[in-house]
Amino acid sequence: MSCSNLTTMWASSNLPNLDHLSSRSFLSPSRLLSAAPAPASSARAPPSTVVHCGLRELRDRIDSVKNTQKITEAMKLVAAAKVRRAQEAVVSGRPFSETLVEVLYNINEQLQMEDVDVPLTRVRPVRKIALVVVTGDRGLCGGFNNAIIKKAEQRIAELKLLGISFTVISVGKKGNTYFQRRPYIPVDRFLEAGNLPTTKEAQAIADDVFSLFISEEVDKVELLYTKFVSLVKSDPVIHTLLPLSPKGEICDINGVCVDAAEDELFRLTTKEGKLTVEREAVRTPTPSFSPILQFEQDPVQILDALLPLYLNSQILRALQESLASELAARMTAMSNATDNAVELKKTLSMVYNRQRQAKITGEILEIVAGADALT
Amino acid sequence: MTLNLCVLTPNRIIWDSEVKEIILSTNSGQIGVLPNHAPIATAVDIGLLRIRLNNDQWLTVALMGGFARIGNNEITILGNDAEISTDIDPQEAQQALEIAEANLSRAKGKRQAIEANLALRRARTRVEAVNVISY
Repeated sequence: MSCSNLTTMWASSNLPNLDHLSSRSFLSPSRLLSAAPAPASSARAPPSTVVHCGLRELRDRIDSVKNTQKITEAMKLVAAAKVRRAQEAVVSGRPFSETLVEVLYNINEQLQMEDVDVPLTRVRPVRKIALVVVTGDRGLCGGFNNAIIKKAEQRIAELKLLGISFTVISVGKKGNTYFQRRPYIPVDRFLEAGNLPTTKEAQAIADDVFSLFISEEVDKVELLYTKFVSLVKSDPVIHTLLPLSPKGEICDINGVCVDAAEDELFRLTTKEGKLTVEREAVRTPTPSFSPILQFEQDPVQILDALLPLYLNSQILRALQESLASELAARMTAMSNATDNAVELKKTLSMVYNRQRQAKITGEILEIVAGADALT
Repeated sequence: MTLNLCVLTPNRIIWDSEVKEIILSTNSGQIGVLPNHAPIATAVDIGLLRIRLNNDQWLTVALMGGFARIGNNEITILGNDAEISTDIDPQEAQQALEIAEANLSRAKGKRQAIEANLALRRARTRVEAVNVISY
């Protein structure tokens, strides 16, 4: 009587397989393996079948998903805070690069008549190339490290085809472990960049690259790093580091050169409460140099001192951009992970509640049937 | 008339205020710069930069090479790296010097010798910056 009312009431609600469940409730309510995916028949169908086994396990799963969500959300906030610091580092490096570019321009103007031959700008026939590969230290940043490593592998394949030998300078733990597992790729040195790239790290790489180039062990040095385009997009690029062009241009491997004075700098700001990226084309005003400026030493020596400065600042810029890209990638990845965790928790909670209710119904039915049998 | 000194490195501004006098080590020797110095541009060697502040105290900065432009009482020094002597830990600087010397004696080949030499000069400058006698 009341039992059949109950069953009909339940049968008319969403889940047809609840009868299925209630008939099995005599056996072992807590060990039910639902044959059919319970949420699949509900209005909002998740894409994958959820296999769950019992109330306690479900509860544990929900707890673990909740913890994971807390962690990923915290990581996202940490990455967001670090991106701000990376931005500040770029901004504080600007006075240096601006002044340097200005000085280079002026010196070049004064030296236009002469033929300068500075060791760092000597173009030699290329027999060996050094590739500086900048990767990150930690994972959980989406496809960031993979993208740059793939680019490096592509470049290595190209060089092999051209018959040019190469050596790799790997910066960053992820790149280090990758190249260490592949002993067939000649690696010159493993370096670590640390949390915030400073002049010391840039100097270490610059020293290495400088000595390789000057001692004529390599004839060209290329820098592979990830250029920061926007918060959701970053581009692995290859820039030619050495030989430098005396005018201070930044050259791509294809020989496309960008004037250093028109170099773009990115800036992270907030617009309407959301983080956005603004690219500023820094056009340094080149004032007319006072012609009475005397050179204390030979102009060649002056250029000799300026170009390593330029090399250092280039490497530091690359490290900073790489770091910013890594942080942005981590922010995106953790944000996606948090969203997925929220959705998964919702799905699991629904399944958990349905199972709980089914169990209660089963017990009620048992009791009612038992009471019925007695009367 | 005071000099306006600006010491810049690729990642931050080390110094940006007025001073009375500076002593700079260039590739062709040490030069002292007083107010109203003639405008010159010079390459700076790895060495000490000594600054005389407005209160007549001397401050030492370990400068790792670069470029200096002096003109119109404005001095701009672009350095690869610069550390004010008060920021250097004497123990650590001494250890770095010893490591650099050991590396130099172990260096084989032109390339390692170049690197080891540079590292040694830098370490030596840092130790000198800490040990300088100020007067």
